[in-house]
Amino acid sequence: MRYLLRRLGFYLLALWVSLTLNFLIPRLAPGDPASALQARFQGRLEPTALEAMKEVFGYTDAPLWVQYFSYLKSLFQGELGLSIAYFPASVSEVIGSALLWTMFLAGTSVILSFTLGSLLGLVAAWKRGGVLDSVAPPAFILLGAFPYFWLAMLLLFGLGFLGGWFPVRHAYSDHLTPSFTWEFIVSAVHHAILPALSIVLASLGGWMLSMRNTMIGVLAEDYITMAQAKGLSPFRVMFHYAARNALLPNITGFGMALGFVLSGSLLTEIVFSYPGQGYLLFQAVKSQDFPLMQGLFLAITVAVLAANWLVDIAYVFLDPRTRR
Amino acid sequence: MNFYRSFRTTLSRFRPSRTLARAAFSLACLSSALGCSSRRVELDPGVLVVLPSQSATWIRNFNPFLSSQSRWPAVGGIYEPLLIYNAATGDYVPWLAESYEFSEDNLTLRFQLRKGVEWSDGKPFTARDVIFTFELVKKHKALDQNALWSKLRAVEQKGEHEVLVHFQEPFVPALFFVGESPIVAEHIWKDVSDPITFRDETPVGTGPFTEVGSFKTQVYEMRKNPRYWQKGKPKIDALRVPAFPGNEQASLALLRGEIDWAALFIPAIDRIFVEKNPEHHGYQFARVEGTVMLYPNHLRGPLGDVRVRKAISHAIDRELIVRIAMQGYTEPADATGLSDLYAKYKDPTVLTEGGDFTIYDPEKAARLLDEAGLRLGTGKFRTLPDGSPWNLDISCVVGWSDWIIAGQIITKNLRALGINATLRTYDFGAYYQRLQTGDFDVAISWSTTGGPSLYTYYQRQMSTETVLPLGESAAHNWQRFGSPEADRLLAELARTSDFEEEKRLSRELQLEFVRHAPALPLFPGPAWGEYVSTRITGFPTQENPYAPLAPYRSPGFLLTLLELQPRTATPAKAQ
Repeated sequence: MRYLLRRLGFYLLALWVSLTLNFLIPRLAPGDPASALQARFQGRLEPTALEAMKEVFGYTDAPLWVQYFSYLKSLFQGELGLSIAYFPASVSEVIGSALLWTMFLAGTSVILSFTLGSLLGLVAAWKRGGVLDSVAPPAFILLGAFPYFWLAMLLLFGLGFLGGWFPVRHAYSDHLTPSFTWEFIVSAVHHAILPALSIVLASLGGWMLSMRNTMIGVLAEDYITMAQAKGLSPFRVMFHYAARNALLPNITGFGMALGFVLSGSLLTEIVFSYPGQGYLLFQAVKSQDFPLMQGLFLAITVAVLAANWLVDIAYVFLDPRTRR
Repeated sequence: MNFYRSFRTTLSRFRPSRTLARAAFSLACLSSALGCSSRRVELDPGVLVVLPSQSATWIRNFNPFLSSQSRWPAVGGIYEPLLIYNAATGDYVPWLAESYEFSEDNLTLRFQLRKGVEWSDGKPFTARDVIFTFELVKKHKALDQNALWSKLRAVEQKGEHEVLVHFQEPFVPALFFVGESPIVAEHIWKDVSDPITFRDETPVGTGPFTEVGSFKTQVYEMRKNPRYWQKGKPKIDALRVPAFPGNEQASLALLRGEIDWAALFIPAIDRIFVEKNPEHHGYQFARVEGTVMLYPNHLRGPLGDVRVRKAISHAIDRELIVRIAMQGYTEPADATGLSDLYAKYKDPTVLTEGGDFTIYDPEKAARLLDEAGLRLGTGKFRTLPDGSPWNLDISCVVGWSDWIIAGQIITKNLRALGINATLRTYDFGAYYQRLQTGDFDVAISWSTTGGPSLYTYYQRQMSTETVLPLGESAAHNWQRFGSPEADRLLAELARTSDFEEEKRLSRELQLEFVRHAPALPLFPGPAWGEYVSTRITGFPTQENPYAPLAPYRSPGFLLTLLELQPRTATPAKAQ
């Protein structure tokens, strides 16, 4: 318990540091919010209108520390301000429109790819030199090494465009309205298959290889030989003795990957015209939409920290040494 | 003083990623080679699918005042203006106003409003609405994006159907900005507490498409206004606007006939798009946006010398730039820098009277530089007259590939002449700040247009009023050139509404521009527009370009939109 609390304290500190950086970095970057606004309006705003717009957005020339405290204050109130690129929508609303889709698509694919990759790695290491062990890792690494964009386009083209088995764009059928109906859910899942498949294919190899490699190290340990000597079933040795220990590094990686789910998958979203955080972030950076950037970074930071904390909790269960 | 809405070319919005687009197209071509049958989503025949701009998600906002933020077709299609300028014909089309005229002294502009126009909720449209709209813009400076009220004195109602716009001093070029302002309903907008952040989710307008059919982040649909004042129009029932974050997906959809009307950059468009179905696929890249220029900073080094500016201009191979950077979709600019938007006032004789500096002539360039004292000494590069090194940085924006290619060609051209030129790319924010504060040697940038009169265009290039010292942020005239002669001509131009007199003054202004070469025109910006007429007909074609095709040019697209109709003879409809 002390361990978890200590970790929690550490994460709170990390959160504060990242919030502060989140505040500082856009203000240190070249270009100011005014020119960002002007860019957004493509040079059309006359100076007088620009001044008035700045007031609407709440830009002030107040000293930095005053701005800093009002920034913290509004954060705690959940006020993220108005987005510039999507004006007059608020940042929370813009993020909200994409958040669920990102969590659905990227979250599912990360979990799928982690589970599948770890299982494959496990089996490959257990049957070292077997067919799976010699064919799958190089094949998946090769797939993962393809430029992702190209892989996704190929899937889109082959399975969506030529084959016609999957829709080629958007998160659900254009004729439906989001709701909790069977028809809508089927449509959403149908639309998610191709993009999810592309992410899984591209990332499977990494999980598999790292699982396989740690697994091989673990299998050489004395306690494995001991367990086998005791006559335990291979299944029990494989999962309870070997996999449990070999999984630890992968769990850390999984926590990171899960946290970064919120940063979205830009290329997937662009290729499949899928709504999500990645494109928002890209758009925010492109149009120097500082409020939106801040909101997105905040979401990503919190997600990464939270995921790491969950990993810490998982460690407590998997690794008895941390329980002390 | 600074007055106009600039049609900053929408280049930035439609700036494509070339390599990706090419990849998409090679796939698309492959598919047609394989004889892939395109499976169409079944649409009602009366639905027009339009792609006016690209975005991953749509935010429901039909507020027409901050036009770059409102959903298409808010400006024009929902909220109509008094007049629409047709860039294809050069005429004003009377819209909510039946007619307009300037008073004898050009101090007052009188609009006679159309009778029998109704708002989409059934209330009549009257002069009160027009007065209210202009007063609203006056009250909220952020809405006055063209700084209209720096020129207006008052707006006055005369009866139910007449409006008088009074100016502080005669100012004829304002016609465009007053005429094309979207008009909102008083009985709705008077209760809006903050019209700047107002989202206007269920708009009430006089336009042809006022009813929001459905609105989702990935697609929305606008239905026609049953009370529309033009009898029998619109002939299509609904507009469908899908969200596409990338050029590739959008282009594929266009090729498959899933989009009827789009504004896209398509490489090798004749081969990839038109040839696939010459009967139904067409495009129009009208050269009516601002001209892309190379701006020399007149306060930096030898660039204040007109000989040096003209030498740089002569050194640039514009044919090559247009062919490679712009895929041949436009043409080299001439020395006046006027795009086809100004066809009415452009005087070709100016080009023979000193307006030759956009002609590629490296020898003349070298001669001019030698004359200016920038000689090739013993070193590799030309030096300043006092022998110190002369470096020339060319500023451009990261990721704007067409400008970057143009910049690379210019760099090569200048280096061939012994100028130590370097292309530097910055993020837009940093670039724009440098441009505005005058922290550059030469910069590639857009030029702003403002309606058909040359006034805005040249005022922003040459007027002494727009010149600010280095370090101060200038909205226009980044090169910092001011000519008292141009001031005089501009002042005269602002006062006259007589066409012959306008033409004479415009010619004088063009002469003044080519005399000083304050900025070096590269090429006029095209307005992108493509159509697929398998389902919907009536688009402006190459043979009959009755209006601009670009769907994002508000409110001009209305002229096209109202001519469109479903193809009636549906060939053997299934089921």
